[in-house]
Amino acid sequence: MKGLTALFLGIFGTFAFSWIGLTVIPTWQIGHLNPESDEEGTDIYPRPQSGMFERGAHVYAANGCVYCHSQQVRADYIADDIQRKWGNRRSAPRDYIFDRPIFLGKMRMGQDLANIGARAPAPEESPSTAGAASPAAQGAAVSSSPAEAAAKAGPPAAPGAAPAQSPAPAGASPSPAKQGGSPPPAGSPAAPAPAASSPPPSSAGSPAVHTSPAPPGQGTGVASPSPGQMANVTPGGSSPVAPSAQTPGAPWPIQTAGLPPMFSAAWHHVHLYAPRSINPDSNMPAYRFLYEKRRIAGERSAEALQLSGSDAPPEGWEIVPTYDAKCVVAYLMGLNQSHPLKEAKTAGGAPATGGAPSPAAPGPSPAPAAGGSPATPK
Amino acid sequence: MNTTGIPLKEPAVSAAAGDTEQLERAYIDASTRVPVLLFYTSAIAWLILGTILAVVVSFKLHSPDLLAGISFLTWGRLRPAHMNVMVYGWASMAGMGTAVWLMARLCRARLRFPLLLAGGGAFWNLGVLIGVGAILLGDSTGFQWLEFPRYVAVILFVAYTLMASWAVLMFRHRRGDQIYITQWYLLGAFLWFPWLYAAGQLMLFVVPVQGVLQSAVTWWYANNLLFLWFGAIGLGTAYYMIPKVIGRPVYSYHLATIGFWTYALFSSWTGMTRLVDGPFPAWMITASIAATILTMIPVATVGLNHHLTMQGYFPLLRYSPTLRFTVFGAMSYTVFSVVGVLISLRSVASYVNFTQASIAYTHLGLYAFFTMVIFGSMYYIVPRLVGREWRYGSLIKLHFWASAYGIGLMTLMLLAGGFLQGANLENPTLPFSESIETVLPYLRGRSLAGILLTVSHFIFAYHFGLMLLGLGRTSTVPTFLNPVEAETSGGGH
Repeated sequence: MKGLTALFLGIFGTFAFSWIGLTVIPTWQIGHLNPESDEEGTDIYPRPQSGMFERGAHVYAANGCVYCHSQQVRADYIADDIQRKWGNRRSAPRDYIFDRPIFLGKMRMGQDLANIGARAPAPEESPSTAGAASPAAQGAAVSSSPAEAAAKAGPPAAPGAAPAQSPAPAGASPSPAKQGGSPPPAGSPAAPAPAASSPPPSSAGSPAVHTSPAPPGQGTGVASPSPGQMANVTPGGSSPVAPSAQTPGAPWPIQTAGLPPMFSAAWHHVHLYAPRSINPDSNMPAYRFLYEKRRIAGERSAEALQLSGSDAPPEGWEIVPTYDAKCVVAYLMGLNQSHPLKEAKTAGGAPATGGAPSPAAPGPSPAPAAGGSPATPK
Repeated sequence: MNTTGIPLKEPAVSAAAGDTEQLERAYIDASTRVPVLLFYTSAIAWLILGTILAVVVSFKLHSPDLLAGISFLTWGRLRPAHMNVMVYGWASMAGMGTAVWLMARLCRARLRFPLLLAGGGAFWNLGVLIGVGAILLGDSTGFQWLEFPRYVAVILFVAYTLMASWAVLMFRHRRGDQIYITQWYLLGAFLWFPWLYAAGQLMLFVVPVQGVLQSAVTWWYANNLLFLWFGAIGLGTAYYMIPKVIGRPVYSYHLATIGFWTYALFSSWTGMTRLVDGPFPAWMITASIAATILTMIPVATVGLNHHLTMQGYFPLLRYSPTLRFTVFGAMSYTVFSVVGVLISLRSVASYVNFTQASIAYTHLGLYAFFTMVIFGSMYYIVPRLVGREWRYGSLIKLHFWASAYGIGLMTLMLLAGGFLQGANLENPTLPFSESIETVLPYLRGRSLAGILLTVSHFIFAYHFGLMLLGLGRTSTVPTFLNPVEAETSGGGH
């Protein structure tokens, strides 16, 4: 009968229309993007990540982080993501070409994590912190805890991740960056940094900071000191220790005294283990099952978490991250979209993110943290 | 004629048709008994599990130290477990049961090989069980709505093929030329789902697409599952139940035709509205927003059609449980769609995109619309399968009001909380934590709504259990929500 053929054709036709329109054509349009590089073919972004990063992504998936944390920065003319210092430019499809699975996310019960790795302190800024390692230096790929990270992530899974050995200027000045703490508007006018890769803005309002360009990174092309740190520049901050007095209304999370530098690997571990020890009002679940409580054998492990108060283990015990915990932190430290992309203009009008485009810093980047600059090279 | 004098039960047919037809219908119903009851029983078991999970998830969101520190009870695992139990356990099984029964009725064909169908259902349940276990043990894929690992997807797909190919076969053996509106929707649902599921699996796991396209495929899948699978079954069911219960034909076939085709065409394009302002080519998102606005056409035609069919019969809502649930669901479909348009407009979406408002939207679709329609159909179908009437009108009433108030409160809380959360989120002078603190009281309100819904579902499960055990009433009169005689004495038409 006539109606039936029409019915079947219609049912298939409408669906095929939607399927082709919303999945097939987009695949044809943006489904085969390549990393971007400069003229010399160096400075490639994005790059594939290491094995620990990959495994970290699966831990991230397994524990449902995506249901509260997005990983996308919207353009500054649409939303305030950039003003919230979640990034220095909008996210573009190219940022995600190696992400499997992808965690764009649909909910912000927690902060956006697209650039959480970019907000980590430069390596030498966390000297005191056991387990903090030098995440920034190792770049995205590698994890936090030095010993194991070196072992496990030694040969990064992907060729691209390799060149990230930072020269880590020894004897760099005591880390000037104290993390966070500054309410956005206050910190923002300080660094209307040039959009190009230029020496760090000395106008950053911190007189103590001298901007000695660091030695160029080895491995990748240019390594210029990245002038602006994405998030955490506080004018005048030159103390390695965070201020204990917080500005009321400071953006969460805030640096609390006695804790590792914010967004360092050690900080992430404490935060994952006891979120409310960092922000009492946080409603993030504690991921204690990713950590192991064990008796201290001989010396306290370098990886052991710095906990205080009721979260601290009893005397003679310590809390150490499992391999999964290290992977998920390696993953977090690797989330970094601050590398410029041609198709996504780095926000000129978003002061706080300043001169973030540091050409030398793809995800796994050399971290030649400039002596005085609070630079995280991303 | 039924003894009450008001046409609450198949009046149109009973007036016109002879005993043969009644008998035949009884045979058809009986042939579907085993599979449909299996679908319903497992669906209700999933509903109870999913509800418990939902309450725990809801409480944990504002009291994060509840049941903390245990890997399989962590919030990020319970939440997808709840979602998948509800989507693939409850909604799919219940929808399947109703769809099978409706298809048999409308094709006027007795169900052949009911055990095969039941086997497909059992296999599906096994898949869901393994899948939920896998999520709790940390084997989620990380794609929203498609968290089940690949091996589970294979099980579900095989099970589905067993179930759906059967339904399509039945359609081939139908009697009579007339294809009723409900059959359009059901056929659509049966054919769309496998394509949708296969496309989602293939493009995410077998031949994975690159980067952000994974998100595009995920939301294309999720929205189409909502519209073309659940939505189609829900609308089809409403098109059957409303005219059936009030004993009056659908007001306009033409309206229904327009409604169906525009629904198929536009609602399948709405997926990208979940990604407004995301890293995608602008045309994809714009097309989806436009499609979402155009879904107002099917909403208007379907709503108008139902309304005009119901006109003059609204007082029957006082008595018929089926009608009350179904009409509530049909009205919620309108609300769901309007909210969908509202929160996908760019100017609004930039505020509420990452807030609880989108949770409200999903629950409006899956619960206020789909689940309520399915509850209505169960109140109609189960007595015809077990040969008993529902035991307590009061329990049905309680079920309805607890569900209606529960989902109403939940939607209000999540929408209001979501909009405030979004307003604070988009105000960079406020710290981020402010947006969370703003929404927390509303989340506590949502937990309250969750308790109401839990009560409602336990009542329903208990009542259904009585029916299964043959403890329903033996009567020729269906169970009404309110006593009929007093109200209509002398009336009778």
